[in-house]
Amino acid sequence: MGELWEVLTRHFPEFRAGFLVTCTFVAVSFLIAMVVGTFVAALRVMPVRILQRIGTFYVETFRNIPLLVLLFLSFAGLRRAGIEIGRFTAGAGSLGLYTAAYVAEAIRSGVFAVGQGQIDASLSLGFTYPQTLRRVVLPQAVRTVIPPLGNLIIAMIKNSAIIGVALGLANDLLKTARIINSNTLQTTEVFFWAAVGYLLLTIPATFTVRYLEKKLAIKR
Amino acid sequence: MGENAVAGNLVEFDHVKKSFGPNLVLDDINLNIRNGEAIVVAGPSGSGKSTMLRCINGLETIDSGDLRFDGKSVAKAGKAIYELRGDMGMVFQSFNLFPHKTVLQNITLGPTEVKGVSEKDSKERAVKLLERVGIPEKADSYPADLSGGQQQRVAIARALAMEPKLMLFDEPTSALDPEMIREVLDVMRDLAEEGMTMVVVTHEMGFAREVCDRIVFIDEGKIVEEGPPEEFFKNAQSQRAKDFVDKILHH
Ligand SMILES: Nc1ncnc2c1ncn2[C@@H]1O[C@H](COP(=O)(O)OP(=O)(O)OP(=O)(O)O)[C@@H](O)[C@H]1O
Ligand SMILES: [Mg+2]
Repeated sequence: MGELWEVLTRHFPEFRAGFLVTCTFVAVSFLIAMVVGTFVAALRVMPVRILQRIGTFYVETFRNIPLLVLLFLSFAGLRRAGIEIGRFTAGAGSLGLYTAAYVAEAIRSGVFAVGQGQIDASLSLGFTYPQTLRRVVLPQAVRTVIPPLGNLIIAMIKNSAIIGVALGLANDLLKTARIINSNTLQTTEVFFWAAVGYLLLTIPATFTVRYLEKKLAIKR
Repeated sequence: MGENAVAGNLVEFDHVKKSFGPNLVLDDINLNIRNGEAIVVAGPSGSGKSTMLRCINGLETIDSGDLRFDGKSVAKAGKAIYELRGDMGMVFQSFNLFPHKTVLQNITLGPTEVKGVSEKDSKERAVKLLERVGIPEKADSYPADLSGGQQQRVAIARALAMEPKLMLFDEPTSALDPEMIREVLDVMRDLAEEGMTMVVVTHEMGFAREVCDRIVFIDEGKIVEEGPPEEFFKNAQSQRAKDFVDKILHH
C-alpha cells in the first residue's frame, strides 16, 4: 500500500502530464468523430441516391479496416506522399474518423427508428421537412442515439491507449506509464495508476450518458 | 372558399391516376366533395383507400390528372403544399401523436409553428378543444399514459387546432378496443353535424349509415359505386359492392 502512494507522489507530474495528453487526444478525436459522424449520417438519410452512396462508402470503408491498419496507413502513407503529419494528428485523426463511422450508424438508426407515422403526422400539420426534422424527428432520435453513442465514446477512450502505443505517441498516459515502469520496474503500482487515469475518463463519461438518458427520457 | 373553386366543391378528383411501381393503385378517380359533406370511403383491403386520402393532402403525389383542394391544385402546388396542408386535418389509424410532447403541446405545436398563433392563444384554443373531445383533465399527460380512445381524440383535437376546412380520417377506430370505438365515433359524429367537410375511410358501417351523406366504394383503384348510404346498403348495383355489403353486414 505504501509503495502505491509512493509511486504516485514521486511521479505525479509525469502522470498528470500524460493524463492531460490523453485528455486532449480524446477530446480532439471526439470532436472529429461527432462532427464527421453527424455529417455522414446526414448524407445517409438524405433522399438523394448519390449522397447516400457516399455516406455508405465512408461507413463501410472505416468500419471494415482494423484501426491499427488505418493508423499505419494514414501515418506512413501521408508521410510517404510528402505530407508532414505529426503523430498526434495522425493518431487523433485516425481514431476520430474511425469512430465517426460508428457514430454515423448510431445516428442513422436513431433517425430511422422514428416511424414514418410521425413524419406523416408532422407533414399533415403543414410542417416543412426541416421543421419536421427539428421539431419531431431529431428530439426523438436523440433519445435512442445517446446510449449507443456513450458506448462508442468509452470504446474510443480505450482505443486511444492502443493508438498511443502503436504510434509511439509523445507521452500519453499509457506511454508515460511505460516509461516510468522501465525506470522503476514497479509494474503493478505504475499500471494501477494508469488504470485509474483511464477510469477517470470513462466513469464520468458513463455517468454523463446515464444522466442525459434520464433527462431526455420521455417524461410520464 | 378559394375564388377558383367550382361552386360548393371543396375537393375535386379529376382523372387522378397513381401507381406504386408497376402497381396501379388509383385508376382514373373522378370525385367531387362538396363543402360540408361527410363522405365514407369503403372498399376491400389494398383497394387504394389510404392512398386516395394521402393524395388529397399531398403525402402521396399523383401521376396524372389533377386534384384540387379549395380550388387550388394540390398536384401542382409546389411549396404552397405546406400552406394547403395547414387547412386540412388528418387522423391516422395509429394515432401518431408526438410521444415527446404533452397532450397540450401536441395540440399547440401546429398552430404556433405553422400558423404563427401566439403561445397563449393556442393554449386557450387547445384547452377548449380538449373539452370538446371530452378529456380536459389530460392536458399535461403524455400520450403513452392515455388509452387508445383518448389518444385518438387528442389526435382529432390536434388536427382541429389548425382550424381546417377539411378533415381526413384513415380508419380512425381500427386500432381501438371495441369499448373505445364509440367515444371516437361520437366526436366524429358531432363534427359532421357541425358541418365539417369530412372524408372517412372506415369499416364502421353503422357510422356510415347514420352519419355520412355519401358512400364511395372503391375496388382495385376504381370507384365502383357511390351514393347515399341507404341506397348503397339496400341496392348496390355492382356484384363487388353487394358482396362487400353482405360480408360487412353479416360479420
Ligand atoms: N408507399 C407504398 N409503396 C408501394 N406500394 C404501396 C405504398 N402504399 C401503398 N401501396 C400499395 O398500394 C395499394 C393500395 O394501398 P392502400 O394502402 O391505399 O390500400 P387501402 O385500401 O388503404 O388498404 P387497407 O384497407 O389495407 O388499409 C396496395 O397494394 C399497397 O400495397
Ligand atoms: Mg389503408
